[in-house]
Amino acid sequence: MALLAFMVLGLGPVAWGVITSLTPTTALTQTPPDLSLSNFSLDNYVDVLVTRGNLPDALLDSAIVATLTATLSLVLGSVAAYALSRLRVPGSNKILLAVLATQMFPGIVIAIPLFIVFSQLRLVDTYVALAVTNLSFTLVVVIWIMKGFFDAIPPQLERAAAVDGATTLQTFRMVVLPISLPALFASGVFAFIESWNEFFFAIILTRVDIKTAPIAIAEFSGQYQTLYGEMLAAAVLASTPVIVLAIIFRRFIVKGFVEGAVKG
Amino acid sequence: MADVELVGISKAFGPVEACKDVDLRIEDGEFVTLLGPSGCGKTTTLNIIAGLEEATSGEVRIGGRLVNELGPFERDVAMVFQNYALYPHMSVAENIGFTLRLRKRPKSEIAERVSAVAETLELSQLLERLPRELSGGQQQRVALGRALIREPAVFLFDEPFSNLDATLRVRMRGEIKELHQRLGVTSIFVTHDQEEAMSISDRVAIMRLGRVEQVGTPEEVYARPTSTYVARFVGSPQMDILQGRFERTDGENRYRVGEAAFVVPDGAVAAAAGREVDLGIRPEHIQLGAGGTPLMIRVVQPLGPMTYVTTAWDEGGLTARLPGMTAHQPGQVVPVSLAAENVLLFDRESGRRIEWRASHG
Repeated sequence: MALLAFMVLGLGPVAWGVITSLTPTTALTQTPPDLSLSNFSLDNYVDVLVTRGNLPDALLDSAIVATLTATLSLVLGSVAAYALSRLRVPGSNKILLAVLATQMFPGIVIAIPLFIVFSQLRLVDTYVALAVTNLSFTLVVVIWIMKGFFDAIPPQLERAAAVDGATTLQTFRMVVLPISLPALFASGVFAFIESWNEFFFAIILTRVDIKTAPIAIAEFSGQYQTLYGEMLAAAVLASTPVIVLAIIFRRFIVKGFVEGAVKG
Repeated sequence: MADVELVGISKAFGPVEACKDVDLRIEDGEFVTLLGPSGCGKTTTLNIIAGLEEATSGEVRIGGRLVNELGPFERDVAMVFQNYALYPHMSVAENIGFTLRLRKRPKSEIAERVSAVAETLELSQLLERLPRELSGGQQQRVALGRALIREPAVFLFDEPFSNLDATLRVRMRGEIKELHQRLGVTSIFVTHDQEEAMSISDRVAIMRLGRVEQVGTPEEVYARPTSTYVARFVGSPQMDILQGRFERTDGENRYRVGEAAFVVPDGAVAAAAGREVDLGIRPEHIQLGAGGTPLMIRVVQPLGPMTYVTTAWDEGGLTARLPGMTAHQPGQVVPVSLAAENVLLFDRESGRRIEWRASHG
C-alpha cells in the first residue's frame, strides 16, 4: 500500500509529463484540457528537436559541462580522498569537515561574488565557469564517498603490492583503482547528474554562447504564453540520458554507496 | 638465501616507541619467530625488515648488505600478511603471477612458474577462481604461493594463521614447517601464539615493550627463561610463580608460601644469597601424592592424554600436569611436592632468573 502511494507520488508527475509532452499545446490550453489518446502526436518532439531546434545544442552543452564536471570531480576527488585516507595528514578530520562545511552556504550567497570573479577572469559564458562552479558541490560528495571507500581497503594490499615490486603509481593503477571502480562509477554518475540538472548557477553564469538544457527548457515559459507541450517534450528528452546512465550503472552505484558507507 | 641482521633498531611513532634497540641475528636458512603479545613491537620489527616501515635508528642487513635505504622489493624479501592481502579483483593465477607481471616476464614463463607453484601448494584446480570464492585455508595457500614464486632470500610471515580455525592452523603450521625444511629459505615468523612459535621455530625471540627479552631455541626459552615475563609467556598451562621465602626446618631447606612449604635444594638457597626471590615451577614438575605439603584440589581438567589438576590455598596456587586420566577429585586433599632440580628462581625486584644449578648445583 505504502509502495503504491510512493509509486503514485514518484511516477505520477513523470507520467503526467510524458502525457503532456505527447499532446499538442492547443489541446492542453483549452478548457478542460483534452488529454485523449487520439490527440497524441510527436509534434512537440519534432518542434524542439528540428523545427525550433534549440534543444540539441542545449543537450550538447549540458553534456560537455557535465562530462567536464564529472571528470574533474573524479580526478581531483579520488586523489584528495586517497591522500586523506592513506597519508598521515595532520588534522585530516578537520580538513574533511571543512570540505563539508563549504556546503552550508546557500548558492544565492555566493552567486554574485562568483559572477564578479568569473567576469573579471573573462570566463562568463564558458564551459569552464560552469564546470568549476559545479565542482564546488560535486567534489565534496566525491571526496566523502571515495574516502569512505579507500578507508575500507586494507592497507596490507598496498604493502603486498610494494613487496611484489610495484611502484606507488603501479599500485594505484593496478590494485587500488580496479578495486575502486564501483565507487568511481557511483561518484562519477552522481557528479554528472548533479551537473546535468544544475539550473541556478547556469542561468547566472551563461548568456548567449552556452545554454544548458535546464535553461533551454525554462525558456519555453515566455512572457505571454507557456509552451507546455514543447517544454515537457524537452524535459523528457533531457531526463532520458541521466535515467539511462543511472540504469546502466545501477549495480555499481548501489555497491559504491554501500561500500563507501562501511566506514565513514 | 641470506642471513638477516638487526643492529640497534629503534622505531618511534610520535611519542610511542614501538621498538627499542633491537639486536637480532638470524642465520642463513634459519626459522626464527618473533613472539609476544599485541603491541610488543614484533610486527613493527618485521615491517622494518621488509622495508615497509623505516627504522628511526639502527641498521638492517640482509645477506651482509645494508638495506636501510632499499624498498621492499630490492631487499629480496617476500611477505605473507595476516589477512592474506590477496588482490580481490585478480584470479588466483594473477595473484601469484603479479610480481612476475610487474617484472615484465614473458607470458609463457609466468604461466609456467605459476603452475609449478600451484602444484606445490595444491592450488592447480583453483587457478581461475577469485579470492572471494576460496576458503580461508585456500586463500592462505595463495598468499603463500605469491611469496614462493618470488624465490626470495627471506620469507616474512606476519601472523599468517590468525584468521584460521584451530584445526586448519595446526595443519598449515605443519605445511609451512615442511616447506621450510624442503626449501631451507631463511624465514622470520611473527605470532602471539606461543604454541605456534615453539612448534615451528629453530629459535624464538620473545619481545616485550619493543625490546627483545630473550632469544633461544624453543627448549632454551622453555626450560631456562631469562625472566618471569618469558617464563609466564611460554608454556601452557603457564608456569606457576610463587611469592614466598626460604626457611630451614627439620634440617631441610623449604620455600614457604603461607601454609604451604616445599622442599628445595641447598644450591637454590645459596644462589639466592639472601635476596628476595620468587619460585617458578612448570606444571609437569609438580608431583601429587608423593609426600610433601598437603593442599586441597580445586579443579580437575581431564584432556585425554593428560590431566590438569589445580590446587590452591590463600597465598598461592599450583597447576600440575599429570599423564593420562587420573582419579583426583575436587575437594580432595593431596600431598604436593616439587621436582626440586627443576625449580627456577627469579629475583623478585628485577624479575630476572637467578642461575643456581650451574654455579651452585
